Amino acid sequence: MRSSISSFRERLRLPRLFFRRPSREEQIHGGPPLEFERPIPVAPWRGIAVVITIVVIAATTAWEIYCRSIGYGPTLNDNEDLWTLRRRAVTPESIVIIGDSRAWFDCDLDELQKGLGKRPIQLALAGSMTFPVLADLANDQSFHGTIICSFVPMLFFAPPGTPPAERAEKTVKRFHNQTPAQWASEYLAMSLEKHVAFLKPDDLSLEAYLNRLPIPNRPGAQVPPTFPPYFDVVDHERRARMWEKCAEPGSELAKRTQQIWIPLFTPPPPPSYIPKDVFMAKMKDGIEKRFADTVAAVDKIRARGGKIVFVRFPHTGGLKELEDKISPRQQNWDPLLQMTHAPGIYYSDFPELSGFNCPEWSHLSAGDSVEFTKRLVPHLREVLQM
Amino acid sequence: MLFNSLTFVVFFVAVVSLYWSIRSWKLRKNLLVAASYVFYGAWNPPFAALLFSTTAMDFWLGHQIGKAKDRHRKRRWLVASVCMNLSMLGFFKYGNFLLQNFQWLLARVGIIYQPPHLDILLPVGISFYTFHSLSYTLDIYRGVLQPTRSLRDFVLAVSFFPQLVAGPIVRAGDFLPQLQHPPRLKTNQFFWGLALMTLGLFEKIVLADTLLSGSADRVFGYPGPLVTLDSWAGVLAFAGQIFFDFAGYSITAIGAALTLGFHLKDNFRFPYAAIGFSDFWRRWHISLSTFLRDYLYIPLGGNQVRPFRAALNLVIVMFLGGLWHGAAWTFVVWGLLHGSYLVIERVLRIFFEQKPWAGTLPVRILCGFATYGAVCIAWVFFRASDFTIASRMLTGMFGGHPNGDAILTTRELLQIGIVTFGVIGLHWSMREESFETTVMRLPAWAITAIGSIMAFAIIFTQGTSNAFIYFQF
Repeated sequence: MRSSISSFRERLRLPRLFFRRPSREEQIHGGPPLEFERPIPVAPWRGIAVVITIVVIAATTAWEIYCRSIGYGPTLNDNEDLWTLRRRAVTPESIVIIGDSRAWFDCDLDELQKGLGKRPIQLALAGSMTFPVLADLANDQSFHGTIICSFVPMLFFAPPGTPPAERAEKTVKRFHNQTPAQWASEYLAMSLEKHVAFLKPDDLSLEAYLNRLPIPNRPGAQVPPTFPPYFDVVDHERRARMWEKCAEPGSELAKRTQQIWIPLFTPPPPPSYIPKDVFMAKMKDGIEKRFADTVAAVDKIRARGGKIVFVRFPHTGGLKELEDKISPRQQNWDPLLQMTHAPGIYYSDFPELSGFNCPEWSHLSAGDSVEFTKRLVPHLREVLQM
Repeated sequence: MLFNSLTFVVFFVAVVSLYWSIRSWKLRKNLLVAASYVFYGAWNPPFAALLFSTTAMDFWLGHQIGKAKDRHRKRRWLVASVCMNLSMLGFFKYGNFLLQNFQWLLARVGIIYQPPHLDILLPVGISFYTFHSLSYTLDIYRGVLQPTRSLRDFVLAVSFFPQLVAGPIVRAGDFLPQLQHPPRLKTNQFFWGLALMTLGLFEKIVLADTLLSGSADRVFGYPGPLVTLDSWAGVLAFAGQIFFDFAGYSITAIGAALTLGFHLKDNFRFPYAAIGFSDFWRRWHISLSTFLRDYLYIPLGGNQVRPFRAALNLVIVMFLGGLWHGAAWTFVVWGLLHGSYLVIERVLRIFFEQKPWAGTLPVRILCGFATYGAVCIAWVFFRASDFTIASRMLTGMFGGHPNGDAILTTRELLQIGIVTFGVIGLHWSMREESFETTVMRLPAWAITAIGSIMAFAIIFTQGTSNAFIYFQF
């Protein structure tokens, strides 16, 4: 008579369709307790391996063809390891670009090299808070070069623990702690990313597809913000250029990206677990502390003979309206320059720097970034006395 | 070097190709030693010297224990080995923890002492390789192992790269005999090893990192109160994440060793189908639980002593097991909780084991789910970085925050639900047999389909080389 346990096991097994009964010979090898020599399941393993290899190569090739057919192309992924490679290239007298994605997209390294006599190193990080990188350069006793620092109030004053702060901190930490294995992996990854289009974890991975599933959420669920889709290409110097499809005037991608910026740049409501006045006071303290920390970092760099210039890069449309409304320049840009005694270039103060159109309201197209940089150089030379 | 990194793929292909193309067994072993040190040094080269020095010391001490004529001298050498290994572990892993607690104790008696913060970098996998090495001297002392004459063989036994940094904890006595004769390249064993590596990487990259870790991190990192659903979902996500992360590493290690002709024992055996906590520890991190059983629980008297003492032994073993995982009181509480579970189970067994209804199906299912639930509650302390978070989580789980926040999306809840039911269902369906038996029952086309899906899913997921959770231990 069968015991209840064995019949229970029978019921819980995977569908019978997939199973055959093990032969007597197989039963000798299988089943606990395992002896020292591991049992090897009897199966045509060589044939299975060959078929799996063919299937996976075919599926991967098909996936690559599909990704290219919808417009994706090979480009490097901008991650901590690529940033670390560029950070290592910083010499004591380097010109370094830091800040957010506007400095990343809008600065053309060739034009800056022509105008400033030295090729700058691109260390701006998309969607990041600037301070950790600034502080890292300030604490680097050997550095006494020049810093071009982009300023976007929402990112510059991002509180600790938020994604912009964590991204910058994680990246700086990687520079200090990168292992030889991570260094080698980055070189291997770069050699693949240069040729393979589907290697875009933010856009074409399983996780990215799961995130895009149109499943309605519970009322009140705190859904993480949506980030813009792929719209840039990056080279080994971390020079970002806007993807042509996004730069086309009125393109679908540009419109979609515009609508993603609005919630991202809108301050979130105070969390439910902190009273509103306490939260607002905390935010105010945080901003004051950031001002003070920035002043200290700038002073350190200056004391070693270094220079810094803050730059406000172009933004347009609904995003400009929103930014101007929630963080007017009188509240942050002007005090920043007053407190740090650093020079600043606000694009809208100069007619030749104004009038550029940002296709998705936040960044310049690849072509415009070259022209903008060309026009920016004389201002940089002037304020930096170069 | 991480298993889920491009560097490892290149490294592994190079090592395996070279290994099987060399005829001399000595040269092959030299290659494995060099490869293992490259594998380890790829994190932090100076720590490879630390690894070698502890290994060499234990090699020498093992000889001294073997040579010693009387029990007293043997014990002296063993104490030297234990002290050397544990002081190394203590300095690197528990230095700051001990100082902080010392400061706290002094403050209780009114002495204000500000200890310097030791800026100590924890060598990856130190808890694992210390145990690998320690098992050698312990087994020689116990008389179950003869000291090896070859330093190279012992160095390889401790540092063999598949198991070096996150287990399974392979005892020297299990590995050294495999270095006596060269293994032959067996096609089925080689491809089965690759299949296990694919499964392990799938568990890590797709299930742990992609489907579960984000939700667990969001819930445990949320600074406010959460509703019951989100609290439980976060804990279930972590329960799944830690299983797939650690079991994935172990399976990859076992597979990698098989491709080189070596056999490592199982480290997991469907733990979420455990009925009771002693059953759970026979299925979860088996290499650690058997290590603690053989080298700590039994020497303490095991269960061959009075019931109270046996219970105390269990609690002591689990307390130290908790502390082994990390230098924090949350890990200690996790260990003590498991110790208490084991004691309670033992008491319940005395009263109810002989009852006719005790072995019936509904009772077994109920006990299985009670075990899983209690294990999940213990995971809260394992994952939370402090007691404030742990207490907030537990309050949320038991309905203490009816007006708390709901932070997980429906998609995340679905992912957690599907993976949790999937893993529990699979564990229950296979709990009485081995994984190999289950695979043998599958027709070749099903193995091929599953293997292809897993391999393509790994490529499609494009992992980000997240470190395995157990590396920090």
